[in-house]
Formats: sequence, C-alpha cells, structure tokens
Amino acid sequence: MLRLAALLWLALVVLAGGYMASRLHDGLTFRTDLLALLPREEQDPVLQRANDAVAGALSRRVVALVGAPSRDAARTAAAGIEADLSATGLLLPAGGRLDPESLKRLGALYYPHRRGLLAEDDRTLLEAGRGEDVAMKALAQVFGVGGVADASLLRGDPFLLLPGFFAGLPFPLSRLSLDEGMLTAVEEGVTWILVTGTLAGAPFALDVQERFVGAFDASVERLRAAQPDLRVKRLGAVFFAEAGSRTAIQEASTLATLSTLGAMGLILLVFRRATPLLHSLLALGVGLLVGFSGSLALFGELHVAALLFGSSLIGVAVDYSLHYSATMFDRSPATPAERLAHVFPSILLGLLTSLIGYAMLAVAPFPGLRQIAVFSILGLSAAFLTVVLWLPRLDRAKPLRHGATLLRTAAGLWGFWSDARRRPLHILLAVAAVTVLAMGAMRFRADDDVRRMQALNPALVAEQAAIQSMIGATTAPQFLLIEGADDEAALRRGEAVAPLLARLKREGVLSGYQMPAAFVPSAERQRANQALVRTALEQPFLARQRAALGMPGEEGGQAGGSGEVLTLERALAGEAVPLLRELVLAPGLHVATLQGLARPDRLRAELAGVPGVRLVDPTADFSALLAKYRERALLLTGLSAVGMFLALAWRLGRRRALRAMLPPLASVLLTVALLALIGHAFNFFHAMALVLVLSIGVDYAIFCAESGEEHRAVTMLAVWLATLTTLLSFGLLAASVVPAVHSFGATMLIGMAFAFFLAPLAAPDRQKSLPAVGTTGGELV
Amino acid sequence: MTRQKALILAVLLAALPATAPAAQQGSAPPVAGAATLAEGQLLRGRFEQERFLKGFQAPLKSGGTFLLAPGLGLIWRTETPFAVVTVMSPGGFLQEAQGQETMRMPAARLPFMARLYGMMSGALTGDWAALSDIFSVTREDGGPGQPWRLRLEPLKPGDPNMPVRSITVSGTRFVETLEVMKPEGDRDRITLLDQRLSTTAPTAEEARLLARPGAP
Repeated sequence: MLRLAALLWLALVVLAGGYMASRLHDGLTFRTDLLALLPREEQDPVLQRANDAVAGALSRRVVALVGAPSRDAARTAAAGIEADLSATGLLLPAGGRLDPESLKRLGALYYPHRRGLLAEDDRTLLEAGRGEDVAMKALAQVFGVGGVADASLLRGDPFLLLPGFFAGLPFPLSRLSLDEGMLTAVEEGVTWILVTGTLAGAPFALDVQERFVGAFDASVERLRAAQPDLRVKRLGAVFFAEAGSRTAIQEASTLATLSTLGAMGLILLVFRRATPLLHSLLALGVGLLVGFSGSLALFGELHVAALLFGSSLIGVAVDYSLHYSATMFDRSPATPAERLAHVFPSILLGLLTSLIGYAMLAVAPFPGLRQIAVFSILGLSAAFLTVVLWLPRLDRAKPLRHGATLLRTAAGLWGFWSDARRRPLHILLAVAAVTVLAMGAMRFRADDDVRRMQALNPALVAEQAAIQSMIGATTAPQFLLIEGADDEAALRRGEAVAPLLARLKREGVLSGYQMPAAFVPSAERQRANQALVRTALEQPFLARQRAALGMPGEEGGQAGGSGEVLTLERALAGEAVPLLRELVLAPGLHVATLQGLARPDRLRAELAGVPGVRLVDPTADFSALLAKYRERALLLTGLSAVGMFLALAWRLGRRRALRAMLPPLASVLLTVALLALIGHAFNFFHAMALVLVLSIGVDYAIFCAESGEEHRAVTMLAVWLATLTTLLSFGLLAASVVPAVHSFGATMLIGMAFAFFLAPLAAPDRQKSLPAVGTTGGELV
Repeated sequence: MTRQKALILAVLLAALPATAPAAQQGSAPPVAGAATLAEGQLLRGRFEQERFLKGFQAPLKSGGTFLLAPGLGLIWRTETPFAVVTVMSPGGFLQEAQGQETMRMPAARLPFMARLYGMMSGALTGDWAALSDIFSVTREDGGPGQPWRLRLEPLKPGDPNMPVRSITVSGTRFVETLEVMKPEGDRDRITLLDQRLSTTAPTAEEARLLARPGAP
C-alpha cells in the first residue's frame, strides 16, 4: 500500500520534472512588473501603459557630465566617452537635443503654420492689447546688436513671432547652453560637458549593465590616463542598477556559500554521516520542483516575487526531514518505518498548520500573495510526502550511538523551562517580555516608502545630486497623464491646465514641465492665435512695421503663412520635434513630464478638480501597494493563527492547543516589539517574515507538544537543528545591505530565536506550574 | 524663466552674428599706427549701423553711442530710430528696448559669452591669437598714418554655428568701419565715429549697466 503510494508519488514527481523541463525548454519568463501584484480590480490598463512608457523611457536615460579645467580637454573627453559608448551599440542619441540640423527641421515644420503659433508671453501681450510692445520687441532685435532676423524670415514674419515661439518651447536642461554643438556649463572654473543618450536595452538586464557600465568605466580610465584632472559624474538607472546588482551578487554569493556550507557542516557534524543531509536535500529539492512546476501549471507564469518568497517558505520543509533523521538518535532500536511512526503525528500536524497559514494568504485578493501561497502549499506538501513516503524506504541507517552529549545539551533548554527551581528566573523573563512588548508598542511605526527599501549606492546618489544642481532639475519620476477623447481634446485639456502649472511653477512647486500642447497647440488655440494676431497685431500695426523695416511691396493684408493648423499627427510623423514622441502615448493619451517637483502633494491637490488630468507617481503608488500588502500580510498572519489554533484544537483539545499556540504567538509579538525597539520601521518584508516565524514556530511547538516524555531529548535536538539551519539560511540575510532583505533577515533572526527558546513551553508539564510568560501570550490568542 | 529657455535658440540664431562684429568694434589691431587700449582706459564714440537685408528697399539704419571699457564690457546704445541698449560684459549679455528688457543671457549659463568676451579682450590687448582660433586673419598695412584693413574669414565656413561669411575691418588709429557679410546675402556695415580715449571711470549709470548682465 505504502509502497504503491511511494511509486505513485515518484510518478508524480517525474511528471512535474517533465513539465518543468518542457517549460524551461520553451524559455521561462517571469513577471517582474510591480503592477502585476496589484489586485485585478485596482489595475487601470491606461495607467499601467502610461507608467510603463514613462518609467521605461526614464529608466533608459543616461546622463553624464564630463568636466575639466580646460574647455578643450573637457570637450575632447566628452566626445571620447560618447564615441566609446556608441561603439558598444548600447547608447542611442538622446531625443530632445537641439543641434542645428534638428532646429532646421523644426523650423521647416513650424514655419508654414506660424500664424497660429504664439509664445506664451506674446499671447499675453496681445490679449492685453499691447500689440505695440510685440512690434517694438521685433524692431529692437532687428536694429539692435543681436539680429535674430535675416531678410527672408523678416519678410514672412515681420513681428518675429516664430522666433519667440521657438524660444518659448519648454525644452528641459535649461541651465546648460550650447557651445559649439555641446551642451555646456561652467562652474568654478571647470567646464562641464553633457554626454547623454538613451540606453538601447533594459537597464535591469545584467548583461546590458555589465557591457555598458564596463565600457563607460574603461573609457573614463583611458581618458584619465591622458587627462588626470578629468572629472565625471553619472546619472541613470543603469548605473544604479549595475552598482546594485554588483553588491547583491557579491552579497548573495557570500551569504549563500556561508549558509549552505554552514547548514551542511552542521548536519554532517551532528549525524556524522551523509544520509540525513541527502535526505534533507531530497525533500527540499522535490518541494521546490513540485511547487514551481505546479504553480506554473496553475498560473501560466509566475511573478518573480512569488518565486522568491515561495522558495523561502518551502525552507520549512527541511525541518520535517531533520525531525525524521533525528530519530536515529533514539535509544530503542527501531526500523525506519517505526521511527517515522514516532514523528508522523507531529510533522503531519506541523504540515496542516503551515498549510492553513499559507491558505490564508491564498484567499486574499492579491495575486502576488496568492502565488506565494500556492507555491508554498504545493512545495510543502511535496516535501512532506517525500519525507513520509520515500525517506524510510531509502533509509538503511542504523541507530546512532554517538549522540549522548548532544542529546543532553539539547535537552537542557527543556530542563530550563520545566525546572521549578528556576521559577524566579521565569518570572523575571516574563516581566522582561511584558516590558519589551509595552515599549515596543510605543515605538512601533510603519514605513512603506519603497525608496528606503532599496540600497542605492551613496557615491552615485551624490553624483546624481551634483548633476541635478548643475543642469537644473531633471525629469521627475512623477508625471501628468492627460486623457481626452482624441488628440484635440487632450491638447485642449493640456492647455486648460497650463496656467495652473505656470502658477505652481512661479510658486516653486515645480521647476518645469513639457506637454504636447506646448509643441503643437490645439487646433482651437491655433485658430484663436490666428485671430488674435490678425486683430491685435496686424490690423493696427502691420503697415507701420513694414514701413519701419523698409519692407518691399505689400503682400496682402497679412504677414503670410497659411491659415491651416498644424496637427499633432503631422508633427509626430516628421519626427522633427524632439521629445514629442515620448509625450504622446496614443491618440488622446498624453503625458506631461515634470521637472523639479518639490511638492507632489500640492500638485495633486491642485489637480483634484481638473477633468482628464491626473498626477501619476509610480514610486508613491508602489509604496502604497507595499503598505496594502503589509497590512494584508499582517491580517492574514492573525487569521492563520486562528486557523492553526482550530486545527490544533481538533487534534489536541482546546487547552493543549492554546498552550501550543502560546510560544509562536509570543515569538511573533516579541519580534515585532523588539524590531521596533531597535529602530526598525515595520514594512512588508517584516510582515512576510512573520508569516514564516509563526508557521515555523508552530511547527516547533507541535514537535515539543507531541513528543512523548522519552523522546524529548531527540525532539529537542531536531528543533535545535531546525532552528540552526533556519538561522543559517534566513537569519544570515540580516547581514544584507539591501534594506528589504535586511528587514526580512532581521525578523527571521529574532523570531526564530524566540520560537526556539519558547518552544518547550508548548509541552504539557509534569509539574502544574506554568511559566508566567504563558499569560502574556495567552491573553493575545 | 522664459529668457533662460530662450538661450539655446538665442545662442544659435542670434548671439554670434551680432556679437562677432561687436567683438571687433573696439579692437585696436596691432597694425602700424593703431591705438592700443590699456586696462582702466575707456573708448567712447558714436556709431552708425546699416543693415542690408536682401530684397529690402533700403538698409535699416540705426545710430547711437558706444562705450568700451576693457575688463568691464561694452555698452552699445542705439538712439535712432529708437532706444535699444545692448550690454556685453564678462557677466553676460543684456538687451533693453525702450526701457524694457528684451533679452538677458548671463555668461554663467552661457559659456560662449565668456569665450567671446575673452576673444574681445584678447583683441583689445593686441592678442589676435584669441581670434585666430575661429577666423583666418589677413591684413593689409597701409603704412604709417594710412588706413589699414583686416579681413577675417571663418576657419570652418560650412559650420552652421557660424552665420558669418566674412568680416572686414578697417581703420587708421582706431577701427573705423566694419563690414559683416552673412551667408544668406544680408550684410551689416558699421561706421565708428568721434572716437576718443579717456582715463576717467565710467559714470555711475554706465557702471550700473555694465554690471547688470551678470546680475541674477
């Protein structure tokens, strides 16, 4: 019967392996977009598209400033770096640069439509009836030193309205100026030249990072050999990502090596043979394989976050095999099947409670949590089945005889709790626990800001700030989404919100903005401009202007240019307008990029009543998402605890179940309190680790509660081993420099230490005296 | 703010053709008989400018006074047909028409201006090397007391940033005429008159004007 089940299980695992292999063969991709983690009903496809487009464009931007005391050296170095980067094929020229060629194209596009194109200040003057000022300004330019005008321009545009419109185009990078084709700034005797472009690849792809940043560094090094005082500052997601991955890879390999070697060494040291290690690896491997392939089959594709957390949760599976293996230390000679029978009730109960915990995650309407839950449930069940069905069959081990000291030591903790003479110490600990809980509750605060969960390279952050102060504020990650029924409607909405933005700019809320309507006014606005030019400028002043300029012959009553309006479609088709392509996502769906947004909250509030225009703040949105996930994970942890209690009550009775729940619950609460006390602001990653602390803590408690008197030492040894391996794998993460990972690791480290220390409290006591800590946890169930 | 955003365009289209001749106006070429300005000296004079626009009936004429103060800058004050004041200084470029500011470019945001001013003072102290980076200079000495001529031609005539085809400068003691040919066939002709050197300091109003382009 069991033999058949084992074979069946083998067939299933092989099937899972086959499925996995075929998926891998087809090329496995993971979802990495954060919005995929949002509940479906909260996803806005328009918003998501805009987010992807804007964030994508922004994250591919590469900016560097190359500085040297001598202008020529700076220019040569900038050209050198640009050439080296272009040679990699990974740097595309940046849009938005105004070289003479693109200016010429821009001129050719606008010139025929010039009568409908007015600079904002000219339009204001004309609306105020001050056409004479506009005329005067043109004459000053013609007569003064500073002739924008050549003969042909003046003939077509005697009021020089088009140069005014040009000058008013909102190109960013306002603090830099063109010096013989290179955008330049001079600061404290150093000439800085801008090198900019767009990355031709994903900044988060490792090979792109390596090739691009490698080429950049090599280029700088080469140039510096010739020009030792060369200074280079960098800005761009690719630099941050490269530095981040470099740290992460170094760290991950160190931690993984430490944790693998540590856990393997520990198991080998304790058992003095390889079988238990192989058993653990087998259980873990099968768990991962089944969890992974099963979730893939269910969901079609997995989010990378689910893979990450799911794998962590399956880590619990090792405990089952360790628990089984520890029975080898049992004094009484027994067959593997008998040994399994000893631990079977506790690992089954452990599995059931964990499954209940993870099932709670699955009912939440959060796709990310659901994937994590399904992954873990499948993986954990698979590991359990492997332990139960396969291990006794593969086990040829004789009982171990070397463990006397080990067992005595392991049982020490049990002794500590059950020893009535230690009562005063127990009470002291209980008081300490209550104090920690109370103080922690006062210091508790949550912080979901995603920016504080990433580890940004401090040197790059400093360079970014330096660049921003030198070139003017760079484009903010926030943007405005302008929606309309069609392009014309969206352009009008942009124009309607423009005065508000101009006011906020004067008030310092932001320092600049670009919207499609600034480059191509709506047809309505262009017609209004034409009318304004006719009535407020040409009819009263054209004849005089012509006379003042000594212009040849009358060419009708107007200054030329067709009455036809420039359409957005035409402007886009010619690719003549830099930046415009990035601002128009689709017909009727426009983006306004923002610079130097100092007060997003203020802007959001001001936009509240504006139809079709909203502020999108991807960082804030993601932080809000994390907050939601944090709350949800905490709520579910609470629900899981209730579910676990019910399962335990069914097996152990209410009283014993309550008692078994006490250590894990106390661990969870003490962990939260202690984290608050050491200054952690609580976030989603802490919450996820708590799920694990609870589920592992319940396992330990059950192992202790279910352990017969004569097996206590062996059980305690298994719990010791489980704790140490868990600490080696998760606790080490506390050493990570990535705040998110550090949060997870620190929670595990503290939580596991508590869960382990308190676990024996779950066992029914010979003496009637319950340690006082019990009351603390008990009230909270 | 609009002015700042105008920079890129303004520099491309406006600054060079206008300011290149401006750089020449006070220059005292190291040719026989030419005067050289020293730091602390002022050159004052009148100017007449004729701008010949291709296809226009008559040249656009303007006139006024100028003041060149080495180290401080140049004030180009157009009086007819209406008042336009242009100031170029190490601090930048400023233009006012009838009391209203129409253009302002601080040199800190405009490296070209600083370079131009360097070129100008180079020319003032007789250092033509500053100009020979950009122009080839041919000179015809007229002998002592006789008029001389300098012909400046861009080294890179096809450069779209260089909307000047050639500049001809002539004079005896001072620069007396400047003729700027532009690629599209327009040309400017500037005549400098009544020039005199003095060692008095600029007036308070002049000093204020010279300080303004660099002011925030």
